Amino acid sequence: MPARSSGCASPRDRCNAVARAVFGRGGQPATGSVVAFDRDRSLVEAARRDPAQFDALYRKYLAQVYAFALHELADHHAAEDATERTFLRAIAALPRFREQARVEDGPEASTFRVWLFRIARNVVANERRTRRRRPAASLDLALGAGLTIADGTDLEADAVTRDEAAEALRVLRTLPDDRRRALVLRFVDEMSTAEIAGILGRSEGAVRVLIHRALGSVARELGRDRRGGRDRGDEGRA
Amino acid sequence: MTTQVRADMSRDDVDALVTDRYLDSLLAAADRHADDAPSDAGLDPGVRDAARVLGRSLVRVHPSFRFEERLASRLAELAAVQAGVAAAAGGSTAGGAIAGRLLAFPSADASAFASAASGGDPLLDAILRGDLDPTDADAVERAARLPGSRRPLIGGVAITSAAISLVGVAWVAWRAAHPAAHPAGGTITRIARTDHVRRVAAAMSAGGLGGPA
Repeated sequence: MPARSSGCASPRDRCNAVARAVFGRGGQPATGSVVAFDRDRSLVEAARRDPAQFDALYRKYLAQVYAFALHELADHHAAEDATERTFLRAIAALPRFREQARVEDGPEASTFRVWLFRIARNVVANERRTRRRRPAASLDLALGAGLTIADGTDLEADAVTRDEAAEALRVLRTLPDDRRRALVLRFVDEMSTAEIAGILGRSEGAVRVLIHRALGSVARELGRDRRGGRDRGDEGRA
Repeated sequence: MTTQVRADMSRDDVDALVTDRYLDSLLAAADRHADDAPSDAGLDPGVRDAARVLGRSLVRVHPSFRFEERLASRLAELAAVQAGVAAAAGGSTAGGAIAGRLLAFPSADASAFASAASGGDPLLDAILRGDLDPTDADAVERAARLPGSRRPLIGGVAITSAAISLVGVAWVAWRAAHPAAHPAGGTITRIARTDHVRRVAAAMSAGGLGGPA
């Protein structure tokens, strides 16, 4: 499972992700069973004791939530609004958050992140319903030339990369909501299928198929665009 | 955790699983800043190319520093009010670490203070009261459809700041009527009062506040 999103220097830094033996309490015998702790457990517990400590969770997940909202709403200001609503609702509801880490989710799992993104998903869905429109170009404007990482030494290659990215974003916007959302969570927020399943309220198998089909749609659209471009080029030369 | 191919899986499920594993390796390669993209003979070339293009195009973008700090301030304000409400309700707090700055509101007014801190957002009010689960899509949608459920966020910060100020004024008024039970509270009050008296005396000696010239 990729874990590019974590800001920890090493797996050991994610101390609450390490599986530990659980010992009996209150006179019960030690069971010796092992459970996987939510990697955000210590931060969540600190925030529950003192709401001011929520800042650590906020800083950790701000970019992820903002990027998700930006790719979903394709508008910089709307993404900021959605991010603000998401974190305000999260801190307000934190006392009622219930950790649901499962051993099979692995040591990288964070049910807090899934919980936070379920809030974000609802905020974004509500925003999309309210706006009743899908801006076609504002994401390109919002992200500008910094959309992809260009090395600056090969201008022609940079232009190709930018064109390719613009094309990919255009195709992404043509996808149905659930397919687009799954791709954004997988690529932008680098979530596992298990986490996306928790956010979208589907099974892991269903999410895998959803992403596979979404990629198939993108592949067809990109192929069509490229064939169309070649055809137009041929016509121009003729 | 890797899912294995099982005999009862459909062709679609198997293809989806192969794609999923490829995406895992693709994202892991990007994580290592590896130039060589992984290859998978079992994967449809079109899907593989689409995954590579999306991997390069769907980048994470950070919001502006100004936005980050503005929202951090707003969350800190809400956190302070929440801590006060929790203390008033007798809930656990950070113990002595932040006791000096906790606002011990009367519990009867806790929801009113929380409401003021929400900046007039009815959905946030409902979440603070525990009446709305923000992860429940249907409940959030129903609540969002109610009239007046949206508030302008552009003015949100100003509204909230004003609300927090009102909370502060209310707290000062309440605190004046309820002397501190904790000895440290009395000490802090005495220090503040002494400091205030010194400032007034200095101002008066300088000719301010209508004192003798």
